[in-house]
Amino acid sequence: MVNAPVLEAKHVSMAFEAGTPREVIAFRDISFTLRHGEILAIVGPSGCGKSTLFNVIAGLLRPTSGSVSVDGALVDGARGHIGYMLQKDLLLPWRSVLDNVTLGLEVRGTQPDQARERAMSLIRRYGLAGFEFARPRALSGGMRQRVAFMRTLALDPKAILLDEPFSALDFQTRLILQGDVKRIIREQQKSAILVTHDIGEAIAMSDRVLVLSQRPSTVKAIHDIELGDATDPGTLRRSPAFNEYFDTIWRQLDGHAQAAV
Amino acid sequence: MAAAPTTVEGPARRSQPSGPQRILVYQTLLIVVLFALWEALVRTGVLPVYLYGQPSGILAKARQLLVEGDLITHVAATAFASIVGFLLGTALGSVAGLLMWLSKTAALVLRPVIVAINGVPKIALAPLIVVWVGVGLGAKVAIAASLTFIVALISVYQGTQEVDEDLVKLMRSLGAKPFTIWKKVIVPGATPWILSTMRLNIGFAMIGAVVGEYISSKMGLGYMIYNAGALYDLNSVFVGIFCLMALALVLDAVLGRIEERFRW
Repeated sequence: MVNAPVLEAKHVSMAFEAGTPREVIAFRDISFTLRHGEILAIVGPSGCGKSTLFNVIAGLLRPTSGSVSVDGALVDGARGHIGYMLQKDLLLPWRSVLDNVTLGLEVRGTQPDQARERAMSLIRRYGLAGFEFARPRALSGGMRQRVAFMRTLALDPKAILLDEPFSALDFQTRLILQGDVKRIIREQQKSAILVTHDIGEAIAMSDRVLVLSQRPSTVKAIHDIELGDATDPGTLRRSPAFNEYFDTIWRQLDGHAQAAV
Repeated sequence: MAAAPTTVEGPARRSQPSGPQRILVYQTLLIVVLFALWEALVRTGVLPVYLYGQPSGILAKARQLLVEGDLITHVAATAFASIVGFLLGTALGSVAGLLMWLSKTAALVLRPVIVAINGVPKIALAPLIVVWVGVGLGAKVAIAASLTFIVALISVYQGTQEVDEDLVKLMRSLGAKPFTIWKKVIVPGATPWILSTMRLNIGFAMIGAVVGEYISSKMGLGYMIYNAGALYDLNSVFVGIFCLMALALVLDAVLGRIEERFRW
């Protein structure tokens, strides 16, 4: 069942102050599936309710209607099976790198030695060896995001949600991390949803790109991205297909942006 | 090559005047000048000695009180009452402030009560405390503790509210229960507030102890100052005041050390 959906959103709608004259519809009737082992990017014009959608998928917000399920079970309140990573790394400044990575395992009640061992192997494997006992303030922004990603991975979640995880980083660091995170997701055979406003990032990192329309948002298009197996962001960005995808998606977003102006 | 030494030398020279030794020199100088001026004004008769005291007289008085009197006992009594009151009040207040995070309802219900108690000058409560716990050490400690309790409660609760809401959300997404979130995020996250409250509170604890000594004690610097003032023995009053200052500086330095230890 390689292509069985890990996560499935069915006709999800979200309205704030529903039923009042001040009702604001964030998005309407959004359906998509996240297949096993794939990375699905969600892009949309600013203010299209990406973050709200993210919170709904993460189970942090209850949709007005529709449902989100992970492995067939509703994400309604039952948390912990989805790992997420945000623009802010949200590391606990009083904990070392190692203790930040084990945080989720600790909450879950994993044996301390096991948690430590798992965290150590992730840290050493993915470029943070030597910083196990450093405090977050001693790390660069890119390294902090790496730690946040390790913390997410340590829990072995069924799906990983990435919400603009690189947008606070400088360009070079961002490209490197995009490549690394993609490679690690593949290596660990994870499935992930990437919410971003960066079209290039969406294309370089994902297997499919879902384009949202202006608010009230609906699914405007879903593109299959076929650029081969490369994870290096530089190589990917040089391919002609990349530019074609970029152009198409840009137009789809641009049309709305102009309508909004 | 020629430019290198100047760029190295420049900042080094500039940082010199603000070096710790320089500051210490200026601080000492300031004190010496102030005291010399004071002494001179009294000696030339510009300031009457019975109203202002006199540095040389204060020094002589201090020596006398130290040798013949019981200055040390007074200092120890005030220090003891301040420290015990500080520890009790700050500890209980901090724990209460932290616990209030667990129940928003309790926090909202208690808010007007806390604001009201905080608004009352604690000195007004002193007679009540004397009635309840009697005169002497108990009253001093109780006044110091009640003062520091309320300060700790308010500022540590504030500290729990300042902890990044997204950290709480993250913990929730990891499946943490409220008590786990409290233990792993709120308590350590509010620690800087606890530490800064401690430095604030050592001052309040001393106010509490000295007020207690004014009204209901036969010991301590507050008692000594109050008594000497009634007798127009201004040199003794100043000895007491300077002892209080020294005590405050020592306690603050100790807390500064502790704060440094716990900072992340």
